[in-house]
Amino acid sequence: MQNSNGVNIKINHIAKTEGHAGFAASIIKGDVKSAKLEVQEGMRLIEGILVGRNFMDVPIVAQRICGICPVVHNLTSIKALENAMGVKVSEETKKLRTLLELGQLIHSHALHLFFLSLADFLDMENDLTLIKEYPEETRMVIRIREYGMSLIKIIGGRVVHPLTNEVGGFKKVPTTEEIQQLIQGSEKIISEVLELGEFFRKIKIPEFSRKTEYVSLGQKGRYAIYEGDIISSQGLHIPAEKFEANFHELQKQKEVIKKVEHNGKSYMIGAIARINNNRDKLMPLAHKYLESLGWTFPDFNPFHNILSQMTEVIHCIEESGKILKELSHVDLNKALTEKYAVKEGVGVAAVEAPRGTLYYHIEVDNRGYVKNVNIMTPTAQFLSNLEDDIALYLPKVMNLEEHEREKKLRAFIRAYDPCISCAVH
Amino acid sequence: MENKNKPKIAIVSLTSCEGCQFALLDLGERFLDFANQVEMVEFRLLEDEEDKGEKLDVGIIEGNPMTEENIKTLKNLRERSKLLVVIGNCAAMGGIPEIKNYQEGKNTIKHVYKYLQGIENPEIKEVDNFVKVDFTFPGCPINAEEFLLYMPGLLAGKIPQIPDNPVCVECKKKGNRCLLLDKKPCFGPMILGGCDAACPTSRMVCQGCRGLRPKGNIKAMRATLKNMMTDEEFENTAEIYGLRDDLEEREKKIN
Repeated sequence: MQNSNGVNIKINHIAKTEGHAGFAASIIKGDVKSAKLEVQEGMRLIEGILVGRNFMDVPIVAQRICGICPVVHNLTSIKALENAMGVKVSEETKKLRTLLELGQLIHSHALHLFFLSLADFLDMENDLTLIKEYPEETRMVIRIREYGMSLIKIIGGRVVHPLTNEVGGFKKVPTTEEIQQLIQGSEKIISEVLELGEFFRKIKIPEFSRKTEYVSLGQKGRYAIYEGDIISSQGLHIPAEKFEANFHELQKQKEVIKKVEHNGKSYMIGAIARINNNRDKLMPLAHKYLESLGWTFPDFNPFHNILSQMTEVIHCIEESGKILKELSHVDLNKALTEKYAVKEGVGVAAVEAPRGTLYYHIEVDNRGYVKNVNIMTPTAQFLSNLEDDIALYLPKVMNLEEHEREKKLRAFIRAYDPCISCAVH
Repeated sequence: MENKNKPKIAIVSLTSCEGCQFALLDLGERFLDFANQVEMVEFRLLEDEEDKGEKLDVGIIEGNPMTEENIKTLKNLRERSKLLVVIGNCAAMGGIPEIKNYQEGKNTIKHVYKYLQGIENPEIKEVDNFVKVDFTFPGCPINAEEFLLYMPGLLAGKIPQIPDNPVCVECKKKGNRCLLLDKKPCFGPMILGGCDAACPTSRMVCQGCRGLRPKGNIKAMRATLKNMMTDEEFENTAEIYGLRDDLEEREKKIN
């Protein structure tokens, strides 16, 4: 729609993202007046339905917020419950859980990199065309995903909606043979992931840049995934417990996603934020790969989120191999759940999900029934940043023909890898 | 993919976690082989092209019709499809969103949203309350192996029948120790099998995501479970996958 003064842009449906969303913007005399993602998803009221339920139901229900990242909802809700009731878990439990999350990052990133985003940079609109033209790469990505999924299948019992992890530890642990099988899997896949990295290095990525604040977990001596403090590129360093005091959820009429801001401004999380904040702690091959990209830091090109994910896939495979080898020498029965006392309390927890830091706050009463839950998902946190970026990007694509312009905008939104099911929950 | 002789299908999702679609995609090459045997008119996880509204041999629905837009999409798919198939617990039984039907709706939404204006909050209803459903792939998520097993028949226009076995049949085959023997309240005996006993194999009790089996003996099951959980705990657990309303209906029929 166009008149002499203004242009309204409307995209009804952005496919190849998790969940349902469209996009609308209005530009008047060259000024972007608004640029918004429009949610087309029903509200499941997950936080509301958890209130009054037994704590044991929490991870079962909460992980069903998202079919692509159930593992991280499972882990974060369990950690928050353990913190609420003062339940301690073994080092073996922590390592198995870290492996689950590494598997989660590997398969979610590989899906997004290749099946959701790549076609945008090759000017294709259908993955079946992509698959036909790049059969070797397709098989490689499938094998990489399969390795990530095998970590979750063997340790968690199932890929979509895992089963074994619970408050206090695991219901069932992998056998020595299964750990050996996973070690072999990690060794076999490493050369393929480096090859895929080379393939992605040659993809032409658009230039665009806007300064922002990068927020992620940070941990001494380690690329933080399963635990750590909240850190930012502007010097913030707080424990996870202080998250809600520093980051604010906004509730607006008619908006089903409660966006989050830091100091009244948008901020960015996810792979690109973690790479910016923690790149010196990457495993050697991932570090070498990142250097080969030749970026200068801080790097503010949101399209680089894709190559940041690629770097993380390499890192997660290396790291998983290392942890698996450590576990091959220990008694995994130490990860089985031990008896614990149900106690009243407030617990918070943060874990790095594929798309950024996932945050849970849970309160339980002395019988273990839930009194209050707050969940802040990655997409709800980076949505304002996405909209601020797009407002700056729009003028660059305004003069393109309508269909081309729409394609560019879709590609931009997809580079962020939004998960609308998570954001609405 | 433009082949005229291939059966046409669409996989469309309403409100859900989309985990059933991911369970399919996670089949990797086997899913791509399946996709090559059909003409995939719509599958948003892989395609950007707009769906032109063609007639379909099989329309596949995931998720719950929760918004006006969802209901429109569902009715449109029914009209276009020779057979309408649902995948997963949200579509078939209401899924976890149905929990709120058992709560005081207003309190549930107020816990999440301060400003209610413009937010749709209907009672959660299964897909078959809106349109005729020809076949259901049950589960949360579906068993993707079962999808590959029954889809060829559906594509040929035949409606398959899932054998009336409890979860216990596959559980025993796996050599698992029965959780009920350890006083763990497992719903397996009254629930429709076909899931490869994924939960009990991970030492997780069955909570009934695949629904009641036609010949399940609910009375005997309730009697066994009474030693392991209170009635309130039983009802709460049966709410997770929308089983509670089906149980109540079945109990009415028995009495």
